[in-house]
Amino acid sequence: MSRRIAIVEDDAAIRENVADTLRRQGYEVAAHADRPQALAALQGRLPDLAIVDIGLGADVDGGFTLVRELRALSAELPIIFLTARDSDFDLVAGLRLGADDYLTKDISMPHLLARIAALFRRTDVLRSPPKSEETLDRGLLRLDLKRMSALWRGQAVDLTLTEFWMVHALAKYPGHVKSRDQLMSDANLVVDDATITSHIKRIRRKFVAADAAFDAIDTVYGMGYRWVSG
Amino acid sequence: MQTKVTPSAAPPRTRLSIRAKVVLVSLVLAAIPFVGYGYVREMENVLRAAQEQRVIATARAVATALHDRPRLLEFSAEDDGSRRRPAARAATQEIELILTGLRRSSSRLFVIDQQRRLLALAGSLRQEPPAEPPDSGGAWNWVQSRLLRPLWALLLERPPEDFDDAIPEDLLSGGKEVDAALSGVPASRWRPTPDARAVVLGAAHPIWSGTEVIGAVVAEETTNSVLTLRNRVFEQLLTVTLAVFVLGAGTLLVFASRLSGRLRRLRDEAEQAIDARGRVQRGFRASGDSDEIGDLSRSFATAVDRLAEYNEYLERMADRLSHELRTPIAVVGSSLDNLRTRAIPADAQVYIARAEEGVRRLNAVLTRMSEATRLEQTLRATERERFDLGRVVSGCVAGYTAAFPQSRFELRLPERRIEVDGSPDLVAQLLDKLVDNARDFATPGEPIVVALDAEGAAARLSVSNAGPPLPEAMGDRLFESMVSVRGAAARADAPAKPRGEPHLGLGLFIVRLIAEFHGGAVRARNRDGGGGVTVEARLPLAGFAPAPQG
Repeated sequence: MSRRIAIVEDDAAIRENVADTLRRQGYEVAAHADRPQALAALQGRLPDLAIVDIGLGADVDGGFTLVRELRALSAELPIIFLTARDSDFDLVAGLRLGADDYLTKDISMPHLLARIAALFRRTDVLRSPPKSEETLDRGLLRLDLKRMSALWRGQAVDLTLTEFWMVHALAKYPGHVKSRDQLMSDANLVVDDATITSHIKRIRRKFVAADAAFDAIDTVYGMGYRWVSG
Repeated sequence: MQTKVTPSAAPPRTRLSIRAKVVLVSLVLAAIPFVGYGYVREMENVLRAAQEQRVIATARAVATALHDRPRLLEFSAEDDGSRRRPAARAATQEIELILTGLRRSSSRLFVIDQQRRLLALAGSLRQEPPAEPPDSGGAWNWVQSRLLRPLWALLLERPPEDFDDAIPEDLLSGGKEVDAALSGVPASRWRPTPDARAVVLGAAHPIWSGTEVIGAVVAEETTNSVLTLRNRVFEQLLTVTLAVFVLGAGTLLVFASRLSGRLRRLRDEAEQAIDARGRVQRGFRASGDSDEIGDLSRSFATAVDRLAEYNEYLERMADRLSHELRTPIAVVGSSLDNLRTRAIPADAQVYIARAEEGVRRLNAVLTRMSEATRLEQTLRATERERFDLGRVVSGCVAGYTAAFPQSRFELRLPERRIEVDGSPDLVAQLLDKLVDNARDFATPGEPIVVALDAEGAAARLSVSNAGPPLPEAMGDRLFESMVSVRGAAARADAPAKPRGEPHLGLGLFIVRLIAEFHGGAVRARNRDGGGGVTVEARLPLAGFAPAPQG
């Protein structure tokens, strides 16, 4: 049975392009143009993954509202939101509302497919009981590569997929400096350096929330970042 | 259609402040003493005429008293000097009695006969000096006696009391009034004293005996009394004028000072409200006064507000544009991606490749366009910490050395530790941009010098490269957004920068934003000798930073 992906996007061209790409990959796609239409359809039958555009027509934050409503319908539904904006504020707001990840509209189709595949892999692993674990232990950090989840001092740290990949890239070779370019490609992102900086800041903040003494991510000015296992 | 904004006119060479103008205007009050002067002159003429009448009347009175008494005159004339007859003596005494009775304290009377012999003389031209009013004490009297009187003494001639009051010889022999009187016509004349220090008014009246003129009476007075009176009036006039002038001009000056003070404050606020780049720095506080200056202030505040709104609108434009454009670009990109999955003939693939390259460049442009706005947002949310600037700089330079092996870097650090309050990531970003710029313009083979030192209360971080100098006219504009020097100075053998990378001149604008975030500033200048360019950022040392800016 092929998975169902719902895409909510007001721009017809993008909507159809993405839908075509997904269908070609073998997914079943339900495409919607606005929030009321999407909500009505999704309430009837939940998809396996939802891609939501933030600005839906005249409703500037329609996407946020929809994400909130979908989250209310299902706590496990993977939600990615698409945004043309690349402001930090929207990012944080969207993620806080419960989306699992975000992508900018200029992402290439191959990248999009890779993301979706990774997200599915993660949710699959979360659902099924753990048969074999593939973990990465670095001091107080434990990365579950199947579930794509992170534990610090045994406490779960809620990282998005992007953030997980970045932490994995850093922690895999502790002490090695990873440049921003390298982190970007590891996370399948095409953004500028400042966004990488804010991702790292957000990752740090999440870890610090779990442990105030966290300082495992070291900034090497001019070069990048590295994981310091203490 | 563009509205041409008139360039501000150069200020005129001679500048008159409002206060100076008000003082000039108040010179109108100086008309008062001139008016008063004319009035006093009129009064003086009136007094002189009155004096003349009085003196003539005196002469007439005396002449009338001697009227028809020819023997008095006869007898007194028979003076042979050796012995006086009692009758002659008695006649003389009688005339003198009459004269004494009729004289005034300030006049002199004498009687002459037809032979112009002086028969009797009474009175004196000199008068006692007027009794000084008792000094009533007090500040006003002090002011008067110490300051004003000497001043008036300078301006007004005082009639002297020591003049030669002798009767000049030619008066009796040929004075016009005497001649006229002896021929029966009363007359008067002003003449100077022999030493010309005073003026004497003389009136002569014939003494009749029947129808015959037997002699004349001459009454004389100096004009000194009139002069004295005139001077006193003048003194009062000038005192009052001076007081009015000082008071009037003083009040006007105070008022003008207040006005010009308010206007100056308005000017200062206006200049500070908008900085040299045309951005609105701080809100303009409109004054609450209800006059024209208050109106001006309020209009200015409105203008500044509108300018701020418009600036904001323009700044948002770049952001909005980039936002608007991303969707169509995404359409093109995703369409090309989908196209790739179809079977495309080999000769058509190149077009897809070119289209994809174009989309990539478009995305890069948009990213740069919104980079500045995103930076401003980030700046607002960034937390500050105290960090070691030297460590950041040396770390960065180590990175550049590794990342750009074809460029040479030289690092100069001070021995002491330099600490700054701010964001180390932003400072690294600043340095990245400066070094990027330097690399694009540097002469190959010449090192790029990154230097850090502290001077006074600020840390100086500079990046210097050998290469083409900055054009003279650039100045501060280099750090505006969208300004580019590249076109003019691009060299064919410039170090590798990916071809087709669009340049919007935003790098230095971001450098400026970051410097200002730290409370500092950045400037660019040509190297001494013109062999290159140095860009220097000054950041306040930890503990010296002013209040954080937006």
